[in-house]
Amino acid sequence: MKFLERIFLVDILKGLLLTLQYTYSRTYTEQYPTEKPKVAERYRGAPRLNNDPETGETLCIACDLCAQICPEDLIVVGVQRDPESRKKVLTTYTFDTSRCLFCGLCQEVCPTNAIELTQDFELAAYDRKTMLWDRERLEKGWDRIDYGKTYR
Amino acid sequence: MIEETVLDIRELEINMGPQHPSTHGVLRVKLYLDGERVTDCECIIGYLHRGVEKISENRSYIKCVPYYDRTDYVAAVSNALGYVLGVEALMEIEVPERARCIRIMMTELNRIASHLLWLATHALDIGAMTVFLYCFREREEILKLFEALFGARLTTHAFRIGGLWKDLPAGFDETCRDFIDQFPDRVDEYEQLLTKNRIWLERTKGVGVISAEEAIDYGLSGPPLRGSGVAYDLRKLRPYAGYEDYEFEVPVGQNGDTYDRYLIRLEEMRQSGQIARQALDRMPDGPIRGKVPKIPKPPVGEYYSGIEGPRGELGYYIVSDGSAQPFRVRIRPPTFISLQALKRLVQNHLVADVVAIIGTLDIVLGEIDR
Amino acid sequence: MEFLLSYVVIPGVKIVVLVLVLSGAVAYLTLLERKLIAFIQVRLGPNRVGPYGLLQPIADGIKFLLKEDIVPSRADKLLFTIAPAISLVPAFIVFAVIPFGPPDMFAGLLTTVLSWFFEAATVQAVVANTIATGGIITDFNIGVLFILSVSSVGILGIILGGWASNSKYPMLGALRSAAQMVSYEVALGFSIIGVLLVANSLSLVEIVQRQQSSGVWYFAAQPVAFLLFFICGLAETNRLPFDLPEAETELVGGFHTEYSGFRFSLFFIAEYANMIAVSAVAVTLFWGGWLRPFPSVQWLWFLDIVPPVLWFVLKVFVFLYVFIWIRGTLPRFRFDQLMQYGWKVFLPVALGNVIVTAVLLLLVRTG
Repeated sequence: MKFLERIFLVDILKGLLLTLQYTYSRTYTEQYPTEKPKVAERYRGAPRLNNDPETGETLCIACDLCAQICPEDLIVVGVQRDPESRKKVLTTYTFDTSRCLFCGLCQEVCPTNAIELTQDFELAAYDRKTMLWDRERLEKGWDRIDYGKTYR
Repeated sequence: MIEETVLDIRELEINMGPQHPSTHGVLRVKLYLDGERVTDCECIIGYLHRGVEKISENRSYIKCVPYYDRTDYVAAVSNALGYVLGVEALMEIEVPERARCIRIMMTELNRIASHLLWLATHALDIGAMTVFLYCFREREEILKLFEALFGARLTTHAFRIGGLWKDLPAGFDETCRDFIDQFPDRVDEYEQLLTKNRIWLERTKGVGVISAEEAIDYGLSGPPLRGSGVAYDLRKLRPYAGYEDYEFEVPVGQNGDTYDRYLIRLEEMRQSGQIARQALDRMPDGPIRGKVPKIPKPPVGEYYSGIEGPRGELGYYIVSDGSAQPFRVRIRPPTFISLQALKRLVQNHLVADVVAIIGTLDIVLGEIDR
Repeated sequence: MEFLLSYVVIPGVKIVVLVLVLSGAVAYLTLLERKLIAFIQVRLGPNRVGPYGLLQPIADGIKFLLKEDIVPSRADKLLFTIAPAISLVPAFIVFAVIPFGPPDMFAGLLTTVLSWFFEAATVQAVVANTIATGGIITDFNIGVLFILSVSSVGILGIILGGWASNSKYPMLGALRSAAQMVSYEVALGFSIIGVLLVANSLSLVEIVQRQQSSGVWYFAAQPVAFLLFFICGLAETNRLPFDLPEAETELVGGFHTEYSGFRFSLFFIAEYANMIAVSAVAVTLFWGGWLRPFPSVQWLWFLDIVPPVLWFVLKVFVFLYVFIWIRGTLPRFRFDQLMQYGWKVFLPVALGNVIVTAVLLLLVRTG
């Protein structure tokens, strides 16, 4: 029996049958630039500095916790003390995405949910300077290259 | 001059890697060939050295975790588990039952993902390139589960000291069950393509044979050791993270060759699916994070936390001097130790077998070089 | 005039057409391979250049032509340069003796076209001269031998290419290919002998005609020989599971590691042209060439609507499909196993097949 199976190449024919079945079945390819993949809700992508949706003021209370927890020390929070109310006020905020591990510790530690890693994953840029995000870009997002349009 | 060189018969010295399609990263193997037969070989590593151990000496205990995703990047979840368990043991933190359940489930899914990547590349090295893409198809499903729970696919930053970052997302249970249900059929498909295929048999049987004694002497662990017939599995021998409550078998080989190691890993994938299903079934409600101080400062002491990673015994030897940063974290990477057996395994094999043996050791250079 | 027409102009036109068609076929064979392998692997394959990636081969060709041509500094420049040509030319020459259709297939067309320009006597003479070689460039009476001898020259290109690169991986690839191709050619040759015995001729046209007159395609009369021929054909064309000379995961690129640009593309074209050549020879010897299925069954006359050339192309296509399909399924042999199979299995079986066939034929023919 085993000998017959060897002669008639049963093992090899079985494999060929499997691949034949798959030849005419559905493909799994995601056509990435034209078809955006849907990433999970808690995906850790591009950082964003959130504003209060009602007042438009920044949610950041300049507590510096994110800068302290960051393993790569890539967050720099600029603080100024308001002379009248004696409260800390956020002046600048830089986030170096080129060194980021996307570990999510900053958003985990933030008491006001000001810094958040969003579902946006297209972070490629043409130079390193562009990867250094300042406060304005963290709040508004940036004009990235839309690969879906330029690349058919 | 010319006559001398003509008569001079030498071994052919050939560099396999660091850029070579099947050295799985940046391993460089210097082969000494007599014809196509390997007489000697020398592994040269360190091309991916990033000093992870040194980095961890300058980071607080919490900040260390994401770096260990990047040592063995194929099994990031297992790496996180090993370290987190070590710190928890040092600080005597109680982890809630639900978190323990999720940890085991995800670690086992990670074992499947890691073995799938191994099977994919191993089969590709031996020439069966279709298996590669079939495996990646299933791995994709697991990575989607990782993404849904951890928020990242590869460098997951899976576990936090004392528990998890977030609870299971909505709908996770069903997708996970769907995957576990259909996964054994997919393993059958790989088997249909490879297990009985005569070419596969000839390429793997009797290749890279190592006896049980020798395997122990070389310090092998994981599938390379079990392939030689030693039932050494830390999940059974020294249960951690709650593995004592789960039922599973530890597959063991007989001949210690590449084919046995292949069968063992396939069986381990099935078993891991079973463990993940058990974890899903018993999933209790409750908190997912124990009580952990904001800045963990373990008492002065040391702890060796060894877990059964997909590639073998993965150890974290953590020394604390009572401050917020570890005094020393030494990682015991399983494949760094199994790679030294390569010199012994490839002796008198052909060049093509070197590729198969590197594949069967399932090395990850990120872990070897750290 | 008649001589010029029948032996220079008409064959010349045929050769030009054949080379063009063959180049196109090779280009689209690469696309077919990539697409089919992609479908086997549940992917999409090339789909960005043109609809369904149909212009991909053209883009690839342009890329090959525009790429920098690198010659390694220590390479043997002359051999390095001519090696691709040595492997390419025989791959194309083989097609000179392969019949694509029946000998008289162009007779009617030829008569009409020629009668526009020449008087009846010349036309008649020319048609009479070329009637025997309608669907074929030249009908040797030693066609099979010609194919065997020419295709072995192609191996030289691979060996020289690997040697001239003066690099270690290509050299290993060249050594492998030398051993592999030489040993598999022996079994290949012996597997053909069975067919020759049955057909009683070395001319490919006659072999097909015998299959027509006997009503049996020779794969049925010589199943063992067919299987051997197919397997050895895979080995001769360096296809998986025998693609050791260029085993990517072992030898990086094998004999063409150091080649780039246009020179590499010549090797590439040669490999695919060889694939087509082996398929075409297999179809001619074993699957009835241009004949329709069941050539002697009368009530299947409606199959005759499809012209013979199309039958031929269709059969070749089936073979190419199987080649690619096998590549998408099987792992690769190891070098020593390959040699073992070649010398210890295929060669004895082929020899046995020859002996058994000869004895049987002797018994049948002597009554």
